[in-house]
Amino acid sequence: MKFVFKPVLLAVAAAMLAGVVSAADSDAWSHLPAAQRPDPGTPDLTGKWAMPTPIRALKTTDGKEPPLLPAAKAKYTANQAALKANPKSDPSANCWIQGVPRIIYASYPMLIAQDKDRVNLVYETNHTFRIVSLRRPLPKWDDDLDPHWLGYSAGHWDGKTLVIDTIGQHDQTWLDYSGLPHSEKLQVQERYTLDGPDRINGELTLTDPETFSQPWSTRFTLVRQPGYDLKENVCVRDHKM
Amino acid sequence: MRQFLVCVLVVAGMATTVVAQEGTVRKLTPAEQAQLDTDNKGRSTPMTAEQWLARRSGGNQAQRKTWEPTPPPAEPRDFTGLWQLPGGNINLLQENGEGAPFTPEEAKRTQHLIDAEANGAVLTDAASQCFPHGVPRLSFAPYPVRFVYLPGEILMLHEVGHNLRIIHLDRKEAPQDTPQSFLGYSTGRWEGDTLVVETSHFNDKTPLDFHSSHGTRLKVTERFQKQKTSQGYTDLVVRITIDDPEHFTKAFTVVRHWPYRSDMAATLGADGITEYSCEENNRNVETTSDGRVIIK
Repeated sequence: MKFVFKPVLLAVAAAMLAGVVSAADSDAWSHLPAAQRPDPGTPDLTGKWAMPTPIRALKTTDGKEPPLLPAAKAKYTANQAALKANPKSDPSANCWIQGVPRIIYASYPMLIAQDKDRVNLVYETNHTFRIVSLRRPLPKWDDDLDPHWLGYSAGHWDGKTLVIDTIGQHDQTWLDYSGLPHSEKLQVQERYTLDGPDRINGELTLTDPETFSQPWSTRFTLVRQPGYDLKENVCVRDHKM
Repeated sequence: MRQFLVCVLVVAGMATTVVAQEGTVRKLTPAEQAQLDTDNKGRSTPMTAEQWLARRSGGNQAQRKTWEPTPPPAEPRDFTGLWQLPGGNINLLQENGEGAPFTPEEAKRTQHLIDAEANGAVLTDAASQCFPHGVPRLSFAPYPVRFVYLPGEILMLHEVGHNLRIIHLDRKEAPQDTPQSFLGYSTGRWEGDTLVVETSHFNDKTPLDFHSSHGTRLKVTERFQKQKTSQGYTDLVVRITIDDPEHFTKAFTVVRHWPYRSDMAATLGADGITEYSCEENNRNVETTSDGRVIIK
């Protein structure tokens, strides 16, 4: 691959020196301003994506129940009962921003936009976006960190895999549609790996010492949606308009 | 209130096509004076006319050093980074200081809301109910925005209410079946180093500023261009042309200067865009223990 990229790089460098940019048009990152382009060879997840089989209830990679601690198991059972009695007991019925990883399973497409310093994940669901820095380290979790609905994220490349770590999320959100709870101590690791041009293999690892007896993982798949136009999708509870 | 003589040092533009006025000295127009009086209501230290005009054109230049410790990308078409309008710019005053060319009906409607507010009414709008702000209302909000480039699209990620705008660069017009929406459907093109964005297919549920309304025939044309200030800082200048024959007698243009805010990139979380959950009221509205609402 390096032999393919080298002439392109030389052409881009020559073009920049000459103050011309058209030679860069064949570059995969030509839609980005020159200073914002990732290093050649960086996997390109940019595009529109959707989950072909949205996940309702999270299971481990082996298809088992997540390893809930007894108190969390009781909370999960209570959430399921409440949901059965009234679908609006799902916190997402309040239109609050859905946390990570649940926002990934929402029933609407998403887009990924990469540049040199960050990965932007934009979800059609209630126009929610995550701006994930590839340069800034994750803040340290302590009592001074104000919890956010989407927490605090930091990303990096592990070979060809995009890794995003997230901490500092509110504990009012559920991890899935079935009512799986979590605490503010939740740590989520998302791993995104291209599998051919039009498919992403995703893996999640959830660590939460107040909810789970041990870290556990599950998988998901995203499929490219060429030409899809993200729609304006608005969720407002009890509105008067 | 007596009129102030104002000396405005207007931006000397970059060596491009920006129109720059040099050393403009003028009095506030009656419309501007009325807006200044409104903006000064409840302020312990009233703004002078000079301060007020400076805010409209990108903020106090002496402050800019702390806003822009590192400069923006050099490429003129590279809008990446954070931009933020200084507060208190939510009005439809034209660049020459004249008010908007309302139709008689819209003038009446607008005045009715201004009077109601003066008499203690609390006005709500789409944004205060957590709907998207509408355009150009969104462009008047004093919160940071980040531009994101995609093949054939540019996104604007606004902190306020996590408003998301999508500018389609790969289309000349909206598809035929495009529904009406709060933020409309935007197409864009580059004219030199200016990003020209045309937006239509709005619903009629958002105000243009705090008091004036629009219909579904509204068309908004925004021209975004980077421009150096007199002291060498960088603004994203936004020239917004509003065309709605049902509410205005002619198309008119308002201008905003969004200063570059490299200082904000150090904010924890989301690389400079702090989470803003209108749905949870986590930003603007707080209640006291006895239930009173405090507007920050």
